[in-house]
Amino acid sequence: MWLVAVSVVAMTAFTIAWVAGFGDQNVPDNTYRTTPAAFQQQVDEFTQKYLGDDGKVHVPPGEDAYLMAQRYGFTPELVLEAGNEYTIWMSSRDVLHGFSLIGDNLNLNLEIVPEHALALTLKAEKAGTYLVICNEYCGLQHHLMRGHIIVEE
Amino acid sequence: MAYVEQLPRSLPRTREEPSRICCVTGLKVYAGAQALTVANAVAAVLALAMGGIFGTLVGMTRAPGVEALQPNAFYVALTGHGVAALILWPVFFEVAAIVLASSILLNARVFSMKMGWSAFFLMVSGGLMLVIAIVTDVRNAVMFTAYPPLVANQIFYLGYLIFAVGVVLALVNFALSIAAARAEGVYKGSLPLLTYGVAAAAILAMLSLASGLVALIPAWLYANGWIGAVEPIVYRTWFWGLGHTLQYVNVVAMVVAWYGILALTLRAGPVNQKFSRIAFVLYIVISLPVLGHHFLVDPSLGNEVKIVGGSIMGFLLGVPSLMHGLAVMGGAEYELRRRGATGLFGWLKRLKWGHAGIAALTGSLLIFATGGWSGTVETTLPLNLVTHNTMNVPGHLHQTVVGGMTLAFMGFAYYLLPMLIRRELWSHRLATIQAYGYTFGMLLMTSAQIWAGAVGVPRRTAEIGYGGETPDSWQLPMDIAGAGVAISGLAGGLFIVIMVMTLLRGKRSEDAARLVPQGAA
Repeated sequence: MWLVAVSVVAMTAFTIAWVAGFGDQNVPDNTYRTTPAAFQQQVDEFTQKYLGDDGKVHVPPGEDAYLMAQRYGFTPELVLEAGNEYTIWMSSRDVLHGFSLIGDNLNLNLEIVPEHALALTLKAEKAGTYLVICNEYCGLQHHLMRGHIIVEE
Repeated sequence: MAYVEQLPRSLPRTREEPSRICCVTGLKVYAGAQALTVANAVAAVLALAMGGIFGTLVGMTRAPGVEALQPNAFYVALTGHGVAALILWPVFFEVAAIVLASSILLNARVFSMKMGWSAFFLMVSGGLMLVIAIVTDVRNAVMFTAYPPLVANQIFYLGYLIFAVGVVLALVNFALSIAAARAEGVYKGSLPLLTYGVAAAAILAMLSLASGLVALIPAWLYANGWIGAVEPIVYRTWFWGLGHTLQYVNVVAMVVAWYGILALTLRAGPVNQKFSRIAFVLYIVISLPVLGHHFLVDPSLGNEVKIVGGSIMGFLLGVPSLMHGLAVMGGAEYELRRRGATGLFGWLKRLKWGHAGIAALTGSLLIFATGGWSGTVETTLPLNLVTHNTMNVPGHLHQTVVGGMTLAFMGFAYYLLPMLIRRELWSHRLATIQAYGYTFGMLLMTSAQIWAGAVGVPRRTAEIGYGGETPDSWQLPMDIAGAGVAISGLAGGLFIVIMVMTLLRGKRSEDAARLVPQGAA
């Protein structure tokens, strides 16, 4: 009898997982292998192309963005236009880092691993400055590592 | 199993060893088995003391209202906390349990005392190397996970490896002890339930250590510059083959402690032993692929792999835990009804709630259940986007490993140590206060951590100010968690005091009723 009860609980959990799996917010699985140098080159080319006078990179809608995590910061600072969907590729120059995007009611976390690039696809819904922090321990100044993603109207 | 009976006969078994009959259980206790169990248990308690001090410092730094340590010291304390409280304390206690389960519980001797003491000294040396490496050089503050390309000094890796070799020796001795006991005919039929459970833990430990060697040997070579690189994802996979499987060694050992407390203090067992044995086997079958949940938001693995290996297998792992939880509570209910309890909850009224064992068992069952719940949430693929590397993770693992396992081990130790050294517990009243205090502190701390994780507070971070840019909602839960840490730190310290005072000052006794007081009328 207990076995049946336990199985019902487990099956319910399965069902919830499958339903949740087809929801709107899903884990990106668009990845490729790279090297720190090759990814740095992509980031540099992308930065030069769209660098604005304010020292930030204004990503045109439809273009992929590139973000490098390196002890102890994220480069470049990205500026997105509200209402558009973007794909942000990220990788690490040195050790493992975390990508934690913090905003009003927003909390999204990914792992950044050197030699692997991961693409996050998101829709910039609300204008504002979003904080990006590292949440994988990366060294003695780990708690200072941060960057920004800015969404403009 | 003819080969099992053949094997030990060819080995010399001539040594004579003094023994006594335990006044509580009637089991035959050999002097060697007793000494080895006590030595490992004492090492475990010392490791817990160390882990607890580091942990309290960590918790007091994470509370924004306190911020006890500077960042460098914080990362040292956090690495030391992980190593002492998550590796040394449980593994030493589990080695005490495997010595106990393969000798005393079977009325048998330890197969080889030399091997037993070698294992013990290797584990002590490896553990000391790890701790010394961490506290003497801040560059070794790489967390107990030590993900390359982050590297520590080679002493750190050698400490890990030597400790692991010691555990492997202890496991080999465990298997040979059981084989020898069977050959000598000191027990008949299936292994007793507790030994069976410990055997399941031992099998998982062997798988876990094999995986750990594959992760840590290349990391050691890399730290010395003898190889050029370690693929970070490959390391993470093998490391969690060690790290996560080890948590299921802990879970199985915790369940064994539940049944141990049940048997000693209520003279009760599971209603159906086969049911509990099946649940033990399920742990072995299911727990290995579950390491996948550590990579849910990593690059490189496909979502199909993540859903099957991380999420679905993770949910399945709840099944054996629920089975054991029901078996333990059902066993208590069955025994108390047999003694005349009536009504739906009459059996609960018969329990002595002011009793340390009952308090620890209840706290452990309760907090472990919350840990199963939070773990199931985290292992769900899309939800992991919210919880990954936030305070949710330490919230979950303190519910399972601390509230569940550590509290169960504490409760079990309140009976085990007095029986082994034949001294009464120093203070039952303080032990009861300890168990309730620890339960309350851990519930408060872990609930606040889960809350903090939900609003995005990162784990393993010395400060959460980030130039004042972080939301105000981060402060309160972290301060509440700090209050929980203070309470559980005090209660944890009380456990150490009770253990040490029992060892040194406990009243010598051969009275079963005083060594193991009964937890129900």
